[in-house]
Amino acid sequence: MSALRHLPRALSRFSQGRLVSLLLLVLACLALYHIETTPLASLHAAQFDRYQRQMPRQRDIHPVVVVGIDNLSLAELGQWPWPRDRVAELIERIQSAAPLVVGIDVMFVEADRYSPEELGKRLPSIAPDVLRALSDPDRRLAQALAAGPSVIAVSGIDHAFPGTRPPGKPFYRPPHNDPNLAHLIRYPAGVASLPVLEQAASGEGFINPSPERKDSVGQQRGVLRQVPAVAMIDQDMFLSLPLEMVRVALGEDNQTEVEFGAHGVSRIHVGSYSLPTLPNGELMPHFAAMRDEHYVSAADVLAGRVDADIFNARLVLIGFNVSGLQDRVVSPLGDSLPGAEVHVQVIESLLAGAALQRPPELAQLEIAALALSGLLLIGVIPAMRPRYAIAVFASLAGFWIVGGYAAFHYGRWLFDASAIVLLLTPIFIALLSSTWIIVDARQRDAERALQATREETARFNGELDAARRIQMGLLPNPTSDFAGETRYQVAALLEPARAVGGDYYDCFALDTARLCFAIADVSGKGLPASLFMAVAKTLTGALARRTADLGQAMREVEAELSRENPECLFVTAFVGVLDANTGQLDFVRAGHDAPLLARAGEISRVDADAASGPPLCALGDYPYQSGRFQLQAGDTLCLFTDGVHEASNGRTLFGMPQLIEIFAAHAPKTPIDQQVMAIRDAVRRFEDGQPAADDLTLLLLRWNGPESAALDQPPAAVSAR
Amino acid sequence: MQITVSQYAHAATEINVVAPLGRIDQASADDFLMALNPMLATLGPDAPPLLLDFSGVDYIASIGLRALMVAARQAKAGGGGIGIAALQPMVREVFSIARFDLVIPCFDSVESAARELSACK
Repeated sequence: MSALRHLPRALSRFSQGRLVSLLLLVLACLALYHIETTPLASLHAAQFDRYQRQMPRQRDIHPVVVVGIDNLSLAELGQWPWPRDRVAELIERIQSAAPLVVGIDVMFVEADRYSPEELGKRLPSIAPDVLRALSDPDRRLAQALAAGPSVIAVSGIDHAFPGTRPPGKPFYRPPHNDPNLAHLIRYPAGVASLPVLEQAASGEGFINPSPERKDSVGQQRGVLRQVPAVAMIDQDMFLSLPLEMVRVALGEDNQTEVEFGAHGVSRIHVGSYSLPTLPNGELMPHFAAMRDEHYVSAADVLAGRVDADIFNARLVLIGFNVSGLQDRVVSPLGDSLPGAEVHVQVIESLLAGAALQRPPELAQLEIAALALSGLLLIGVIPAMRPRYAIAVFASLAGFWIVGGYAAFHYGRWLFDASAIVLLLTPIFIALLSSTWIIVDARQRDAERALQATREETARFNGELDAARRIQMGLLPNPTSDFAGETRYQVAALLEPARAVGGDYYDCFALDTARLCFAIADVSGKGLPASLFMAVAKTLTGALARRTADLGQAMREVEAELSRENPECLFVTAFVGVLDANTGQLDFVRAGHDAPLLARAGEISRVDADAASGPPLCALGDYPYQSGRFQLQAGDTLCLFTDGVHEASNGRTLFGMPQLIEIFAAHAPKTPIDQQVMAIRDAVRRFEDGQPAADDLTLLLLRWNGPESAALDQPPAAVSAR
Repeated sequence: MQITVSQYAHAATEINVVAPLGRIDQASADDFLMALNPMLATLGPDAPPLLLDFSGVDYIASIGLRALMVAARQAKAGGGGIGIAALQPMVREVFSIARFDLVIPCFDSVESAARELSACK
């Protein structure tokens, strides 16, 4: 009943929790969709860096040698820029070993300061024919470049300025109306080397870093995660320096192709090599750990201290490697790299086919994963115990995180599970807390119910207490009632069990000569028994007073009691009437134990079989007859209920023999009220703390003899007679 | 409290025999009466009488007597026969003190009870 009453409230809590979670899920999906504009973007990037740090590209190929213009070179050969003929000499030495290509990460925009033209301007006194006889360093460099496959650097710029002009050797001149070009990074103007050098070189590659951006996996914290692979300078399409080096190395027979997809550039193919790209033509190299064994110093090469064979059949890059120079970047692995190393990593990535990929579909997949996981949680968590709910969430989070690592490991896909898990967490917490709220509410309901039961019990106990007080209040006090009586003495005791029982005793004078006494036990316990007891006692008293024949009185009592007895209770009773002057005892035994009789130190039973009937109300119409028994002066009767001889210590019952023994031990010298207490104490001692199952009721009656005799002699003398 | 029920056939009359085991006290009296109820419901002038085989009952409290009284009363109201047999000494003493032989017919053994009860039919 109470569970039904609380159901609507529990249901509303339940759906409330789901509604909040659904709202959170929508917000989470929106956040993931616009992740680049949220603080989550750095988490995103950090997760991608973590993939690379934990699974860096293995360097099993060493296709590139870097000839570094390093500290040693500057120390030995003087400040940069070097005369062009020295650069030419460096290139010649490398070319002599037949490398696949020589790339120069340097632009030679102005004429050499020692070119005849420049000298003529600075020293007008030198005769023109002398100048003509001087060798031109730029020509020397052009010859060196033309001696083998070579690539020189260009740079795209936003505004043309005096002295700049677009480079002249793009790898492709696209038709102007190609709509795909709109996706590419575009520089309106460019900076290139002297025309003579451009013509001599096999190709030109740009060296621009990625433009500053905020709409994608950008360069937070100065970490270099991506580089442009292809870009438009003015109207022409250029490859980056490292890709151009590979293109030139492969020779003219190999096709270079930029592949466009729905969102822009999807892949770039150089010969048989290809890499996935971002839509704007950038690529994300899979970085390997920085190593410097493929670095040689330009000074060593010029001095012949390097075996030129190392350049053979390799891609050679001439670049700066000077500490303190600004041309350094931080890789996702956390290494500080010289600019040349980025080119090396790009070349290696291309040759290994190892670039990270994050097509727009992957971002959509993340949103789908988030939405599905969220719906799954909303579906199952509220029905679960919190312990299992946590397990489900942990496995779901684990699934996506492991999936993210697997995607990176097997396909270099950048799938960000950490953002999904992070965005799922508030949903999960909302669901769990609403589950917890329900559990908590249920617990509180249960506590309330328990409290109600306790109160109920207390109230019931109160009623029982009241019933017990009424029951006890009905019992006469023989000690005070017969204080002046010398012919007989009566002592009685009723100790109720924990629950109210239906025992009672009674004793009252019918007239100056006759004493009526009774002991009874109503079958059953609790309130009905005690009420029945009250009625039985009152009826017995009233009818015994009114009716001369005790048997007749009991027949009427039974008839009256049976009239209203819905509980089918019955009463065992022993009722007696003593003539105090003669010792004559009339009695009716209705299903009750016959009293014990102590006479002259001997214990026997009052022989009551002749006047015995079933308990009152057992049959309803039994023809009770009274019996008669003659007492002798000094006789003591002991009336008891089964609370006495059936008292238990948990193993055995107190039993009749013990009752007889303790009754005998104290009769007849002991005052009668002390004798009652002695029997009661013996029973309680026997019980040894075991709670009593039934009321304990005792009534002792001693007849001292007729008035005159009793006055003259003490009871002890009477019993000795 | 265990209640086992067995069918006992004698001469032409089938007698339903109920054989409780153990103590019939405060804790078990209600169960005892509950187990008796379906059989009491079948009692009638034309139905076989019901016999309680008390050979397995070693103690009966006054609340147990009340259960027997209720059973006897119900049997009497329906015009069916009921009896009790094979009382153990302690139970027999309780019966004799309470004069319950006046409430429900008592027999020494199941056999004699079956004989007597079917003869009454």
